[in-house]
Amino acid sequence: MTGTDRPDLDSYRAAARVWIEANLVRRPTAEAPRRKPWEIEEQTPEELAEQRALQRRLHEGGYAGITWPVEYGGQGLTREHERAFLDEAAGYVLPDLGIAGGATFGVCAPTMLAHASREFLRRHIPRVLAGELIVSQFFSDPDAGSDLAAVRTQAVRDGDRWILNGSKIWSSGAYYADAGMCLARTNWDVPKHRGLTWFLVPTDARGLTIERIRQINGDSEFCQEFLDDVELTDDDVIGEVNGGWTVTQTMLLYERGAGSAGGGSAAHTGLRADLAELLAEVGTDDPQVLDLVARNHVDDLARAALGRRLLALMTADPTSAGSLASYGKLASGVLDPVRANRMMEIAGHRALAWGEPSEAGAHAALGLLNSRFMAIAGGTSQMQRNTIGERVLGLPREPSFDRSKPFREVVRDARNWSGAVG
Amino acid sequence: MTVTLLPSPSEEQAMLLDASVRFMEAAVPLATVRERADGADHDDAGYRRAAAELGWFGLLADEARGGGSASGNGVLDAALVAAERGARLQPGPYPGHSAVVHALDAAAAVGAEHEQVLGELVSGAAWATWAFDSGASCELRAVDRGLELHGEVPVVAEADLCAWLLVTARSADGLTQVLVPADAAGVTVRRLEGLDVSRHWGAVRFDGVAVGAGDLVGTAGPASERLVAEQARLAAVLTAAESVGTMRADLDAAVQYAKDRVAFGRPIGSFQAVKHLLADLSLWAEMATGLVVAAATSLGHGDAGGPEQAHAAKAFVAEKGIEVAHGCFQVFGGIGYTWEHDQHLHLRRLAADAESFGSAAWHRSQLLDAAGVSR
Repeated sequence: MTGTDRPDLDSYRAAARVWIEANLVRRPTAEAPRRKPWEIEEQTPEELAEQRALQRRLHEGGYAGITWPVEYGGQGLTREHERAFLDEAAGYVLPDLGIAGGATFGVCAPTMLAHASREFLRRHIPRVLAGELIVSQFFSDPDAGSDLAAVRTQAVRDGDRWILNGSKIWSSGAYYADAGMCLARTNWDVPKHRGLTWFLVPTDARGLTIERIRQINGDSEFCQEFLDDVELTDDDVIGEVNGGWTVTQTMLLYERGAGSAGGGSAAHTGLRADLAELLAEVGTDDPQVLDLVARNHVDDLARAALGRRLLALMTADPTSAGSLASYGKLASGVLDPVRANRMMEIAGHRALAWGEPSEAGAHAALGLLNSRFMAIAGGTSQMQRNTIGERVLGLPREPSFDRSKPFREVVRDARNWSGAVG
Repeated sequence: MTVTLLPSPSEEQAMLLDASVRFMEAAVPLATVRERADGADHDDAGYRRAAAELGWFGLLADEARGGGSASGNGVLDAALVAAERGARLQPGPYPGHSAVVHALDAAAAVGAEHEQVLGELVSGAAWATWAFDSGASCELRAVDRGLELHGEVPVVAEADLCAWLLVTARSADGLTQVLVPADAAGVTVRRLEGLDVSRHWGAVRFDGVAVGAGDLVGTAGPASERLVAEQARLAAVLTAAESVGTMRADLDAAVQYAKDRVAFGRPIGSFQAVKHLLADLSLWAEMATGLVVAAATSLGHGDAGGPEQAHAAKAFVAEKGIEVAHGCFQVFGGIGYTWEHDQHLHLRRLAADAESFGSAAWHRSQLLDAAGVSR
């Protein structure tokens, strides 16, 4: 599509407004009754089906995949068109396909668009846009998390088929997804980064078992998959065979991008809602409580300011964006637990046990349980410190024991670790 | 080296900073800072006038009174200058002087006097500072002959350089402010030994200093309370900005040292124990920088969030500044313990800034007020 085929923003916006009014439902103005903090957030199968239908309506109306290529069912328009549509749709209910839906549209599909073959994209992307293909990330192995290139889940070629064995873990929402985007080792005789390949695995494939993991907060959003002779074909390969690390880097960029979007909010005034609610319940008599409240407020303001600074730094030098994003993640990893501890101290006995009227204490308690999420998920704080140290501060690299020898030998040598080098 | 408080300064800001850095490195390089620490005087009058020509002291004054900002936001411009000053441990009470300029400019805007003194301060003919005391222990008493100022401000940075002192005092009409010539009868500036050897320190006593109606700044009572609060935020943000410059200079030196120093056959910066410490310190430096820029920007624009940002900036920078100095010290190891190494100058400066114009605890308490937490 050439630039002249694109509708100008004003007429696009006007047409979108008409379509939205005819096809979407206004968000209720009164706030929906809030879930209790200890109730688990999960869509029923019926609710999910409704959301899929809403996604299909958006697609049929021409408002899904606004910036994605026309060839694959998108609209081939610009970010500005997408923003105009979202502006107009701000007061309306848009599809919510849950956490795996977020991964599908924010990470998996964009990564596929960057690396998969035309045939693959023609087959799958229109189904994504129609709400028929929710894709979960089959990323970490139980044996490989931060060291992602060390995954041991393997795919072995057998004629024109691939046979997958191993296990994947921390897949958000896999239990209701239609497929998983799966990282597997396809060559053990080259260094770890060079023997990886990505596959699309249907969740109803024979030999694939998905188990939900009960998390420390009682929720069960994360899953573990067991692959037991799962059969795929070359059609299911995403990108180049053994070229999976390039795909992985794209995926990590989209993940970080999605993760940092919330950091740059405008300057706000007053305490954050959870802090204000807790203080309202605890009261302002105790000066030590007040100082803890003030300390959390200082850090909250500092983190919002960091988000704006990072955005300014990234705008000034876009090539540094990937490394600078580590600051946002490290700030959360380091300060979320500190904040949660202070919330516990402010809440006192209210965070030990609670009944119906007292919700702020329960929020503090569950906040504590969730507080190390950003310090671990998607690369631990230690990984962020390595990135900052080496790529931002320019410090020399750590010696490496696994970058240049075949992964098979890496696994063997690690078992006989003595600390001696050379 | 410039401290990149803003990744993309405007052309005018960039010119101001480039010229300021060249000036500082020629007028008071670190060697001169060290001589001053050993008791030698630098050319203060020359320094003041050259800095004034660069525009340092007019950033917070109206153009009609000889001032003018570089970017339209004078507080932000002053913070940019302050950060470069902090990176080079510059002399002079820049935050306190700026607070006085702001107070006199605000008073002049409503037709009060002091335009002549304001002119001296903007042109660099004299230094002034705000004898800040979070305990507000000075008192303005009505006596037969008129008004008398009594009290003592225990620690004032660079008091001996100042020709004018702005004093906040309690009075029968409520909180008020007085502009006092430092050589007035009854004013005593006693030199003190100080932690931060890159600056002079003094205790200032007022023993019945005669005060005329023309010496008052603003109107006693709620108007003065508002003005004092504004001065406190401005001085706090500029002090925090100087600290950010010092933090970043200390950190840059520690990062360089970690690349150069070899132990156990490797540059020490390749050890994760050192690398991760430096990464954490640089996170604090980036957060401090972001918060100071946010505070200066919103104070200068008069945004509703400005007061909160300003108190948060001082509270955050006060604590993290010292933490950064400790961490850098650990990277330097033994060499940081020597007088010849710059580490102690940075540590001293950051620790002194942490307390100046309100401690972290004082600003946290002000922050709660600004955030509307009722007690």
